[in-house]
Amino acid sequence: MSFRKGLVYALCLAVLNLGSPMMAHAELVGTMQALEASTRTQDLATVSAALAREQVREQMTALGVDPAAVEARVARLTDTELRTLADRMDQMPAGGDALAIVGIVFIVLIILEVVGVIDIFKKT
Amino acid sequence: MSRVSRGGRRFPAVAATLLLLAGCAGHSRLVETTGPAGLPPQVELTATPFHPQSDQQCGPAALATVLGAAGHDASPASLSQEIFLPARQGSLQPEIVAAIRTRGLLPYELEGDLGTLFAEVAAGRPVLVLQRQGFGPWPAWHYAVVVGYDATRDLVTLRSGTRERLQLRAAVFDATWSRADRWAVVALEPGALPARTDLTRYLRATAGLEATQRYEEARAAYDAAATQWPYEPLPRLGSANVEAALGHWREAERKYAAVLRLAPGLAAAINNRAEALSRLGCRTLALRVLDDGAARLAPDEPLRPTLTRTLAAIEASPPPADGEPALCAQLQVR
Repeated sequence: MSFRKGLVYALCLAVLNLGSPMMAHAELVGTMQALEASTRTQDLATVSAALAREQVREQMTALGVDPAAVEARVARLTDTELRTLADRMDQMPAGGDALAIVGIVFIVLIILEVVGVIDIFKKT
Repeated sequence: MSRVSRGGRRFPAVAATLLLLAGCAGHSRLVETTGPAGLPPQVELTATPFHPQSDQQCGPAALATVLGAAGHDASPASLSQEIFLPARQGSLQPEIVAAIRTRGLLPYELEGDLGTLFAEVAAGRPVLVLQRQGFGPWPAWHYAVVVGYDATRDLVTLRSGTRERLQLRAAVFDATWSRADRWAVVALEPGALPARTDLTRYLRATAGLEATQRYEEARAAYDAAATQWPYEPLPRLGSANVEAALGHWREAERKYAAVLRLAPGLAAAINNRAEALSRLGCRTLALRVLDDGAARLAPDEPLRPTLTRTLAAIEASPPPADGEPALCAQLQVR
C-alpha cells in the first residue's frame, strides 16, 4: 500500500471519527450520587466541584503547601471532600502536635504566678 | 505521672480528673463493651510499625503506621509532603483519607464507639484516631494509632507521638476521642470488609475509590459487599458503574439489569441501564427501559430530572443506520 493510499484511509477514518463526539451521550448517575439519592442526603451544595477545587488550590497555597505539590494533592480528593475543605479548611481540626499543650500550661502558670494565685517561680 | 496507677489514696483526684474529662457522661468498664460483643479481653498488635513523630508531624507518623501495617511502607517525611499544611501546623482528615485511597486501600471511617474500634483491632487492624487534647479554648488536635486494649485493666494502647507504647486509661482515651467526634479510620485491603460494617459508610468510601479512578480496587470492594449483602442493590450498582467507567458496556448492562431485578424502582440503575443499552446500539430497548422505569419511581425521586435528560438525549440520537445489533433482540425490559 502506497503512502498516499494509507494517508487517504487515515483521513477517512479521522473524518468518520469526527462524528462520534457529536453524539450526545446521556449522563450516568455515579454511585456516590445514587447513594445520596437513596439516603435522601442529597448534597445541596451550591458550590460546583470546579469552584471548590479552585478554592482548595488557593487555600493550600496560602497555607504554605509547596506549589509543585498542590496540584497532586487536589487531584486525589473527591468532590465531596473538596467541598468540605473549600468550606472549612481554616476551621477543621488540624491534628498536629500535642506538645503545644506544654506551652499553654506554662502560660497559665505564669498568669497565675503574676496574679499571685500560686508561688512556684523563685523570685530574686 | 503514672498513667496506670489504680485506686488507693489517689482515687478522689483521679475521679475528679475523669469527671472533668468525661463531662457528665457515665463511663462503663471496657469488659461491658468487649464481653457481650464476643471480643477477646485483651489484644495488642505488637507487630505494628512505630514511627516516632518529629515536630508537629503526628499526622504523617500515624498515617505511616497504619499504611505500614497494611503493607504499604512510606516514611513520615514523604507523607508530610502529601498531607501536612504548614500554616495550620497539622494535617486534615480528608487528606489523610485521600492518602490511604491513593495507595489503592479503602479508607473506612468507623462508627465512633469503642466496641467498633476494638473490633477492628481484634481483627488485626490498627486504627488511626483523632484526639482533642488541651483545655477549653486552646485545643490541641492529635493523631495517634490504637494498637491494643486490655479490657481487664481498662486500658487502651497507642502508638502516639514519640511514645511507642502509650497506655491510657480507657476513660481518658475516650474523653479525648469523643471531643474529636470519635473520628477513626482504618486502611482496608479492597475486598476485605470491616469487622462491623455500616453499609452506607462502606459504600461511601468505595465510591471515593471509584471517583478517583481506582477502578479495580473499587470493583473488588463493591463485589465483596454484594457477596455479603446479596439483596442490597447499591453494591451491585457500584460494580456496574465501574464496568461502565471502563467502557465495558455489555458487562455493565448485564449488571444494571441484575440491580433492577432486585430494585425495579432504583432511578440510578434505570438511567444507567438505558445509557448502557444506548451505547450498545439498542436504542429501542433503552427507551422502553426508561418508559417502564418511570412508572416505578418514588414520587419524591430526586433523580427524576436526570432521567428526563437521559430520555431526551437518547430520543435525539439517530437510530443506527444499519439496524440495531442482533444482541438487542436477546435482551428484555425486565
